[in-house]
Amino acid sequence: MEIVVLVKQVPDTESLIQIAGDGVSIKTEDLKWVMNPYDEFAVEEALRIKEAQGGTVTILSMGPAKTVETIRTALAMGADKGIHINDPAAEGSDALATAKILAAALKEMPYDLIIAGMRAVDGDNYQVAPAVAELLGIPQITQVIQEEITGDTIRCTQVVEGGAAVIEAKLPVLFTAQRGLNEPRYASLPGIMKAKKKPLDTKTLADLGVDAATVGAQNQKVQITALNPPPARQAITMIEGDDPQTLAVNLVKKLHEEAKVL
Amino acid sequence: MTEEREEFPLDVLFVGGGPANLAGAIRLKKLADEKGLELEVGLIEKGDAIGNHSLSGAILDPIALKELMPDYAEKGCPIEETRLHDRFYYLTQHRKFDVPFTPKFMHNEGCCIISLSRFTRWLGEIAEGMGINIFPGFAGTRVLFGEDGRSVTGVGTGDKGIDKNGKKKATYEPGVDLTARVTIFGEGPRGSLIRQVDEKLEIFSKTMPQVFETAVKEVIELPEDNPFLKGQDTVIHTFGYPLGLDTKGGGFLYRMKDNRISLGLVVGLDYEDPLLEPYQMFLRYKRHPLIAGIIQGGKVLQQGAKTLSIGGYYTMPVLSVNGALFVGDSAAMLNAQRLKGIHTAMKSGMLAAETVISAFEKDDFSLDTLRAYDQKVADSWLNAERYEARNFTQALARKGVVKFMHIGAQYFTKGRGLKDPLSLVEDCATLKKLPKDWKAPEEDSEKPEYDGTLYLDKLTGVYLSGTQHVEDQPCHLIVHNTDICETLCYEEYRNPCTRFCPAQVYEMVEETPGERRLVLNPSNCLHCKTCEIKDPYKNITWTCPEGGGGPKYSIV
Repeated sequence: MEIVVLVKQVPDTESLIQIAGDGVSIKTEDLKWVMNPYDEFAVEEALRIKEAQGGTVTILSMGPAKTVETIRTALAMGADKGIHINDPAAEGSDALATAKILAAALKEMPYDLIIAGMRAVDGDNYQVAPAVAELLGIPQITQVIQEEITGDTIRCTQVVEGGAAVIEAKLPVLFTAQRGLNEPRYASLPGIMKAKKKPLDTKTLADLGVDAATVGAQNQKVQITALNPPPARQAITMIEGDDPQTLAVNLVKKLHEEAKVL
Repeated sequence: MTEEREEFPLDVLFVGGGPANLAGAIRLKKLADEKGLELEVGLIEKGDAIGNHSLSGAILDPIALKELMPDYAEKGCPIEETRLHDRFYYLTQHRKFDVPFTPKFMHNEGCCIISLSRFTRWLGEIAEGMGINIFPGFAGTRVLFGEDGRSVTGVGTGDKGIDKNGKKKATYEPGVDLTARVTIFGEGPRGSLIRQVDEKLEIFSKTMPQVFETAVKEVIELPEDNPFLKGQDTVIHTFGYPLGLDTKGGGFLYRMKDNRISLGLVVGLDYEDPLLEPYQMFLRYKRHPLIAGIIQGGKVLQQGAKTLSIGGYYTMPVLSVNGALFVGDSAAMLNAQRLKGIHTAMKSGMLAAETVISAFEKDDFSLDTLRAYDQKVADSWLNAERYEARNFTQALARKGVVKFMHIGAQYFTKGRGLKDPLSLVEDCATLKKLPKDWKAPEEDSEKPEYDGTLYLDKLTGVYLSGTQHVEDQPCHLIVHNTDICETLCYEEYRNPCTRFCPAQVYEMVEETPGERRLVLNPSNCLHCKTCEIKDPYKNITWTCPEGGGGPKYSIV
């Protein structure tokens, strides 16, 4: 089984996030960069499938030089090799352009299964992985919380509003990981050492045959016009009362009189 | 231990990713490269990333940095301010008085203002770039000793994925035994591993105890038009209010880049009043007209707390044992008189590195070779400046006029003073018991007001430290006997842990009158270790939680 995991490096949401002077980006100086948490689920699931069925797990990521740290983290968890697309011309690419670049890389590689996080916690677009599947012309199953592979068929449980859908497809397939799929493992210390010696190729747009003029900041179909911080956290109010009845009455009272939502 | 732990051999292991060990690792690698020695060097750090657990004022004397890396500016060393203009004030509740005579050790010409978290992160990147194996997120939990019981052979890292009842979770990942020819301990103040070494090899003095201060600090963003950002003064130090003259400590306010300032209050942990709360002292300090005037309109970006090891020269442990060396705050390298410890920490790490290189050249890692480190420390400027301050912390611990007599006498006798050495009392032994009939006042006259932006309650502060721990893990704070908390400690001190902890980890709940119970919130912990230091019954032991937990400092 050839498994490719799409991984993105994102700011740690616990970092100090501040809007930059331009009003459309965030200050990056003191950010800590981590693997997108949903991509951790994707890596973990890939490793479990590999452990059960054999095969290779390849990590594919695009970003500046520091992205290597995140690819190494996935390798330390147990992935076999990494491919890092690093090209200044790709900087500022929107979801569609990113998908085009990733798809171009995937066209050059063998794959039976592609796994990605269902969304990246920075841009929150939910778009890159589905667009990659479209560009490759393969089935996609999003927001997966459970999967099972039998022969050349994958059966996934997908979260839908108010319930779950079970979807089957013939490999090759791309699916995206939702919280609940698994609990990602820790990168072990010996794993981190081994990761340093695992193959990690760096590729440019030219290597992938992507025309630099079609991607990057100047080709954004979606433009950010302004960023605003979320409203400040309100203080928590504890509902008082000794028994469920009193608690319920006091809660309704607060919702009615203070929050004015009832 | 039922399971065989994996052994992971290294040549040199650094425990702790602060400035002492990072400077040591960089120096070691440089020297090894020069001499053609191929060494496998590892550094473990309990924080999720290098710099996450680093917090300081901080004014850096670049003397050690210049020795380590003369081209530090070209390498992008993150410096906030190089133009240092000092003010030194004595504060009363409503007023400030210029101290007419700024003592020589308070002069900061040639120094610079940094964020220690940023600075440490930068050192970490350089060290990693040189080929040092940096392992953030791995906590050392036990010291490995050789069969002789007299030599250190490495450090075992903690298991991950253990639930709060001690059972393995699905994500269980066993720790490994990192063995090394030499292990260098740079855990910062009150290390939890150096304590294990001391238990076995008695490296700390029995008569000169380790003593500490706790600092609470914030980085505050000021409005662009704030006059302080344009003024001449960049450094303010204060003493007096809100601590008074009998409790050692003081405040600092430093100007940083990007309209930010660093503001903090340091409280000596030998304070006597069990009702004193360092965090509330910090808030009072912020409300003083001098400080409130400067920070008006500001917004707290990050908050944190950490202890400083301030005992100085006479409290230094034995610096070397078979197979191990001790550096930085772990080894009381800070110079309390100059309020600086980064340069001394770095220098100690660098001297340790030089010693380790000679040990590899001789292929001897016993005390016979490693002892050279003690001599290197003794011969360097590191000891020269600390020797002059050898009785300073002791003098500050004195009360009233006596304090100033000691300080004055020391000033003119190169530190010898009226008595040399002056004695010290352990911080856990200084609290005065409350009278038997003591009752809490109905309403606190200085009840703090919080606005959620500039004046923060403890829990909002904890939130702004970014601290996080895996919730489902064994409690890392060991309270040995909770009966003491509920009875004796309540009666004698009204549970000072609920006040000296800057992160509200300790709470006493009284569900029915007279029935008290200690509740712990270990997830709030900022890893400052004040609890272990100050608890009057020595009832608390701080152990390392699962690696990766703790604050996520980035600019403090």
